[in-house]
Parts: sequence; C-alpha cells; structure tokens
Amino acid sequence: MKGESAQMVDHLFRTEYGKLVATLTRIFGASYIQLAEDIVQETLITALNNWGVNGLPQNPSGWLMQVAKRKVFNEIKRNKMKATHHEAHQYLQDAHADIDQIFLENEIVDSQLRMIFTCCHPSLSVESQIALTLKTLCGFGVREVANALLSTESTINKRLYRAKLSIRTSNLAFNVPAAAELTARLDAVALSLYLLYNEGYNSTLDDNLIQKDLCLEALRLCKLMADHFDQYPKLYALLSLMCFHTARFDARLDVHGAIVLFEDQDRSQWNKELINKGVQYLQKSMGTEQLSTYHIEAQIAAEHCLAPNFEQTDWTSIYKLYELLAKLKPNPIIALNLAIIKSKTEGLESSLKALEALQLDKGLDNYHLLPATQGVFLMKLEQYQQALPFLEQALKQKPSSAEGFVLKTKIEFCKEKLRDQ
Amino acid sequence: MQEFLMILKGDGMNHLSPDELQNIMGEYKAWVSTLGEKYLGGQRLEDQGVLIKDKGIPPQTDGPFLESKEIIAGYFLIQAVDLEEATLLAKTSPHLGLYHIELRPIAFPKMT
Repeated sequence: MKGESAQMVDHLFRTEYGKLVATLTRIFGASYIQLAEDIVQETLITALNNWGVNGLPQNPSGWLMQVAKRKVFNEIKRNKMKATHHEAHQYLQDAHADIDQIFLENEIVDSQLRMIFTCCHPSLSVESQIALTLKTLCGFGVREVANALLSTESTINKRLYRAKLSIRTSNLAFNVPAAAELTARLDAVALSLYLLYNEGYNSTLDDNLIQKDLCLEALRLCKLMADHFDQYPKLYALLSLMCFHTARFDARLDVHGAIVLFEDQDRSQWNKELINKGVQYLQKSMGTEQLSTYHIEAQIAAEHCLAPNFEQTDWTSIYKLYELLAKLKPNPIIALNLAIIKSKTEGLESSLKALEALQLDKGLDNYHLLPATQGVFLMKLEQYQQALPFLEQALKQKPSSAEGFVLKTKIEFCKEKLRDQ
Repeated sequence: MQEFLMILKGDGMNHLSPDELQNIMGEYKAWVSTLGEKYLGGQRLEDQGVLIKDKGIPPQTDGPFLESKEIIAGYFLIQAVDLEEATLLAKTSPHLGLYHIELRPIAFPKMT
C-alpha cells in the first residue's frame, strides 16, 4: 500500500461522470445513454475499490478514462458475441469513429456539447430536459435530482426513463445541430439552462448547498456553450446574468441561515470576481443581434451589482429595463417587479396601488411575494394594522422556511407596535 | 494465521450517485489501512460474464446468472487467527449495509 496520497478534488467523480457519459454516448449513440451511464457507474465503482487500496493515481481523470475505454471495448466485444442470437446493436455500425480520438480533451468538450443539445432537445418536456441534464451531464444521482427539483425518486426515475425512451424511439442523432436549425436549438438550450439556474436560485428548497450546486452547474454548462458558440451573443448575455446573480448568492443568507433582504445585504460580501466576469460577458454579448430577454435581465442585474449602495441604485434605468422586458416577455412576475420598483421612482403609495391591481392577476394567485411585499411596504408607512393580514396571507402561501421565518418576525414586530400604541 | 475469502453479494453500489461513491472512498481507505497486514487482496467483479455448465452445453453469456441480490460483486482475501477474528474484521467492513458478506475459510491453511 502506498502512502497517503493527495486529497481528491471535490466532486471529481461527479464531474468525470458527466464527461465520460457524454463521451461514451458519442461512441454508442444517443439511444444508448443508459448503457453509457451503466459503464461509467461501473468505472467509478472500480476506481473506488482500486483507489481505496492503492491510493489516488497520479492522474485520476486519465485513470478513469483508461478504465472506461477498456470497458467500452469489452462491451463492443461482448455485443459481437451476442450478435449471433440477438440483432446486432445499432452502435456496432455507428462506432466507426476512432475511439481513442474521442477520448482527447477537445473531443470530450465536443461530446458534452452534443449531450447538452440532446438533453435539451425540444421534443422533450422542459421538466425532462432539466432532469436529464442533471443526471447525465452534471452527474447527480436520482435521489439528488429529486431533492433538487422538490420531487420524488420514483417520479424522477419515470421521467428519466421516458426521456431516454423518447430519444431512442425518435432515433435522435447525437450531434451539434446543423446551421439551418442551430439558432432555434441554441435558443432551446439557453432556455433550459436559464430554467435550471432559476430552479436553483429561486427554489423554496431549504438546502442552500443544493441550490448553489444547481446554479453553478447551470453556469458551467452555459460557459461551455458560450465559449464554443461565441457568434451567438445571447449565450454570453445569459452567462453574464448567471454571474451577477451568483455573485450575490452567499450574501442572501446570514451566518444563521436566515434570509437577508436585498436592501440589507452586505455588498462587500458580493463576489467581485464574478461581478467582473458578469461585466465582461455582458460586453461580449453586445453584438449586432437583436436584444434578448437575457440581455435585459443581465443589464438589470448589472445595475444592481454596480450600484454603490441600495439607495443610490439607478431605479429609473431599472424601471425602463423592466418595461422593455415586460414588452418582450409579458409575465406576472415582471409586472410585480415593475410595481415594486415604483416604490423607488414614484413612492410607496403609488407602488401599493400598482400592487393592489396585481391582486387580480391569476398568474400571481398564491404567490407569497405579492402579499409579503404589500405587508412590508405598509410597515414602512407604519400602517401595522393594515400590514398584518398581508403578512399572514403570505405565510399561508408556502414560503420557504427561511422566508417563513422572516415573515413571522415581521408579524411579531407589527403586533408589538400595535400593543405599544 | 488462516486465510479467508470475503464474498460480497448484491448490487449495492449500482444505485449510488457519483458524489456518494466518492464519499464512501474515505471509509473504505480507512478500513483497508486498519486491516494492515491482515488485508491480502481484493477485486470487484463485473456483473456479467460467462456461465459454463459443461463441455457439451453452450456457454451462457447473458448474465447476471442469479437473482440480483445474489450477484457476486467482488471479493476480499484476508488473514486472521481464526473464523472468529475474521468475522470481527468482516463486520467492520464499510461494505456492510450495501452488500451481504459471505465469509469462507480457505480450505488449506497457508504453509509457512
């Protein structure tokens, strides 16, 4: 037995899983994602057993790749043996590419891009796209996918099974789409990554680590795409947006895990490196292309991140950006944001009027942030009696437990004020 | 000292996520290092192989050949004073919980 070797990189298995599954799927074809996953799983278990005894190899990634490659050759051989009594698998004909070549670094990136396009294929439901992306590209286990998406293992298993079946029956090619359909397919990928990111950022999940994991994975895949398709500025806009939001991630919670409201956040805790990257990517995204919603959202996030403090934020610009966004993507959450920003540009009363009008919007039914905002604004006006029912309503509408805690504190505060009066 | 074969049965690790597998490695490493000299070797077996029953019967290649809980996942060779000590060692294995362990003494004691 060798001496204690170097510590293993965090999530090494998870990262390598994603790379290897993409590589093996390229060898076998999109219909055989499951086979690729099984072989990679087997590779990781082999590594666990071997490294547990012998210590870490010099180059862990290279080691995994070698073992996976050997298992691929075995699988192909075994399949040839079976071919006498079963129909030969499609991949025997398809495995024309030089397998060694496919394991080279730049080819691995290429395989991952193909996998992103396959997972985010428009023929799959968005829910399936996200689950499949997390499972195959990000190396999450089924239980971890279920936790991250607030679902159950059996639901996720069914979803994954159906997605793979659909890929097989429609015989999807494992490739980067041709020029004619590339723009539309890139749009689909961008949307899927955007939703994956939001799943993490806006989740009502209580586990902050899982939330951040989802955001970082979405960011990683988006960077992979943006760097490769640099003629599509939309991807850089999305990447920029993700950087700005992620920069604020840790400041959202205090040391006790309680939510820190945006205006109270300690801006020195915002990640400057990520903000700088956000700015760089935003500049790169300024092409000749039409302005996308990602561009506008990134600009809004930039306004926030670059403002010296909450009060000196350029609310007028942000309001205009939101108006533009509402035109491109009419949706009740954006309407809610517009109404909230009115408190800065026109004052609390005017904002409360706009918020009241939104109570009729079906899209905001049961959305706790509407009554929560109304409650908080009424508190600012010292109308504690009026604020209470809104805060209590928000508490009933399934906030996360951290949000619930904030609401309860506010309710107590109102009650105390009313007692004192 | 006598040698013992620890046979691991079940498909225990097939459903673990990459993160979970990576986390188990630490326990596994610690176990092997506590065994020290008593650890002689071990390997994981792939689920599929060939079953040859007799010369005249065509080999069976589909596998796994048994119910999944009976799949032989791997083995360890350890040495211990007697079956009692070997049992104690096997009981400390991090594989328990994921696998069943069948402990069998090697029939011929090692000649030294």
